[in-house]
Amino acid sequence: MESASVPLPGGGGKAAEAHHHGPPEANQSSRIDRQTLGILLFIISEVMLFGAFFASYFFLRVVVNPASWPPKPFELPVGIAGMNTAILVSSSFTIHYALEAIRKGNRQGMKLGLVLTWLLGLTFLFVQINEYVHLGFSARTEAFGTIFYSLTGLHGAHVFVGLMLLTFATIRAFRGHFDKNPDKHFGVEIPGIYWHFIDIMWIIVFATVYIL
Amino acid sequence: MKFNEAVVFKWVVIVGIAAATVIGLTLLTRPLVGALWGLVLVIAGCVYGYRWTRQWWRDLKDRPGGPDHSV
Repeated sequence: MESASVPLPGGGGKAAEAHHHGPPEANQSSRIDRQTLGILLFIISEVMLFGAFFASYFFLRVVVNPASWPPKPFELPVGIAGMNTAILVSSSFTIHYALEAIRKGNRQGMKLGLVLTWLLGLTFLFVQINEYVHLGFSARTEAFGTIFYSLTGLHGAHVFVGLMLLTFATIRAFRGHFDKNPDKHFGVEIPGIYWHFIDIMWIIVFATVYIL
Repeated sequence: MKFNEAVVFKWVVIVGIAAATVIGLTLLTRPLVGALWGLVLVIAGCVYGYRWTRQWWRDLKDRPGGPDHSV
């Protein structure tokens, strides 16, 4: 009789535990691992979120069609934002370098790439906060101010989250957590994918809000 | 069909180049021209994304153990 597979009350369950098996392993696709699927689905939901903000932006810009955009006398600092764009695009190259390095087993390269990415991300955030301070208009300055701060602020919040992920990845890298086995560097790969997503979104935000 | 950091990095480069053409057109001509070109690129991207997703889902269903897998 298989009575040992049922946990017994009253402390007699030692033998029972030895024979007890938990639920079977969750089914997993052989084409994509759980972590990557998770970040893919998360990014799809984020695209929808940004899509809602862009829809608001274009509604205000095209349908409401104000006399001037941005409203006079305000001007957007296109040069500074362009420089900030270059900084963020560079950070995508450095995180890619970090991933390529760990794929080849080069831990020093990975650490260098992660630290550079972190510094570039921090610089981006610092420049954006500095830009907010000197813009001369607030989120209450007409619909333009509201949507400008909403779009760029939403992106800034994502950069902040990305920086947190990079902080954890960098700390783990310095503690020797990753190696070239693909299953052993998810902690860099997933923040890397997220960071690229942030970069792509900024390129679109910059082209839309500052240039068009 | 793969989805990893290297693939997403390739898309950073593609989106960067596409945005550069939009910015270039806008600065050289008028914002409307740049916006229309951007719209064309977005529609092309959506079509590509739709086809990629359909292929990805088809591959996923056909995996060993998947609902449509035939031995």
